[in-house]
Amino acid sequence: MLQKINEQIAVIARFFPSHKVFPVKIYWRNQEYRINRLAYYHQYHQGKTIQHIFHVTDGNLDFRLRLNSDDLSWTLEEVDDGNTD
Amino acid sequence: MEIPINRQKPLTMHIDLNSCFATVHQQAFIHLRGKPLVIAAYATPNGCILSPSIEAKKLGIKTGMRVKDAWQIDNQIIVRTPDTALVRDVHIKFKKIFSNYSPKIIPKSIDEAILDFKEMQGFLKKELPEIGQEIKNRMRKEIGEWISCSVGIGTNRFLAKTAASLKKPDGLEVINYQNLKDVYKKLKLVDLYGINSRFATRLNIAGITTPLQFFEAPLHVLKKQVFKSIVGYYWFLRLKGYEVDDYETERKSYGQEYSLGKKTNNINELSKILMKLCEKMGRRLRNSGNTAQGIHVGIMYSDYSFWHQGKLFSENMSSTQELFKAAKIIFQLQPQPKIVAKLAVSCYRLTSGNTSQLSLFNDRKNKINQISNALDQINDRFGEFTITPAIMMQMNDLVVDRIAFGNVKELNLDL
Repeated sequence: MLQKINEQIAVIARFFPSHKVFPVKIYWRNQEYRINRLAYYHQYHQGKTIQHIFHVTDGNLDFRLRLNSDDLSWTLEEVDDGNTD
Repeated sequence: MEIPINRQKPLTMHIDLNSCFATVHQQAFIHLRGKPLVIAAYATPNGCILSPSIEAKKLGIKTGMRVKDAWQIDNQIIVRTPDTALVRDVHIKFKKIFSNYSPKIIPKSIDEAILDFKEMQGFLKKELPEIGQEIKNRMRKEIGEWISCSVGIGTNRFLAKTAASLKKPDGLEVINYQNLKDVYKKLKLVDLYGINSRFATRLNIAGITTPLQFFEAPLHVLKKQVFKSIVGYYWFLRLKGYEVDDYETERKSYGQEYSLGKKTNNINELSKILMKLCEKMGRRLRNSGNTAQGIHVGIMYSDYSFWHQGKLFSENMSSTQELFKAAKIIFQLQPQPKIVAKLAVSCYRLTSGNTSQLSLFNDRKNKINQISNALDQINDRFGEFTITPAIMMQMNDLVVDRIAFGNVKELNLDL
């Protein structure tokens, strides 16, 4: 089931010298999720702000995370367990 | 007139992303991979399916079906709505890969492109099938491991497209003068790109029931009996592998349409939608540097009846305000206001902005154009719909972002 969340969350991320970012852990509703795979990354411009979209998974759930380049906030946009609604 | 099969080396490549919207969604959401998934305009029973995944296609689910019909086939079908930013990103990435191979890339839609290698003959270091395989590998490596495409190679665009459709998903086929007839033997008339059931009926009436018979038909039969125009001559050449589709089309109009999730006859709601459509259309019109003199409004009602009207105005229009005012005039011409299911607006009779005359006595119009350009710049910098006409307040995402089938000319790509 797909759930639209749109909540700001805490994220531990790894920043690489090659200007790459990888979210390692996310904290959402008092739970910690360890990210083990990045499925897709893309970005889009919203005016002067670049929104970085990370499609990641902890092995059980798929998360769509957004990193706002303007205020460096992380938003959990969607959670999907890959099942029918 | 007899013309032999084109025996030149096949140098046109057609690349088609398999089940684009669904595959891209499966790439991003790992838990959807390998499952029957459909991407629909709305995740509701009446939502129209835009793209079934390869797994869903195997169950018999097709583009254009309703979600409820898919659920009747299998109630475990997963339904999701399109992620337009994601699909656009994949399109840009695959176009970037193509640009490494040919200077002439013609995007046919968000998930299809033609690579023309004719001008590179003599410079090519690899054979086209090898290049095709390399592109497939790079798409998997650089875009995502779930992304697959079908590659077709032929002497013209038609045969390249036909070759790409021979093996799906993940095919790589070549049609040349040696296997052309064998390929036609395996196909039906409606399998040929550009031949729909109506054309097939016309061909049947002339005694042509298979692609091979179509291929072998004399020119006078195609030109005078079947198509009754130059189209017959084009088919005569196309089927034999000669290029007749290599022409640039000129844009004649800009349009936007919207199928209402909640059908209504409320004039305020419809005005808001009309305004948003005019704003989106106006942005595209102004970006192209054109102005328009004609406006067309089309309405499909909930009883499936349709009304439309176009009108030419004396002045060239480009600002959203002008376009909306003109569209509203036409909208009010409806003979009988009914519940609206779909609203469409387009502008036509385009003139290049540079050649349109500045109004000498109407300083207000010049000011409106300047304001319009300033608003566009603000929206460019701070995001779409940062500043909107007051009528659009509280609209939220009433007109959602969509990717059109077909033409992607305006998708600006920084390659």
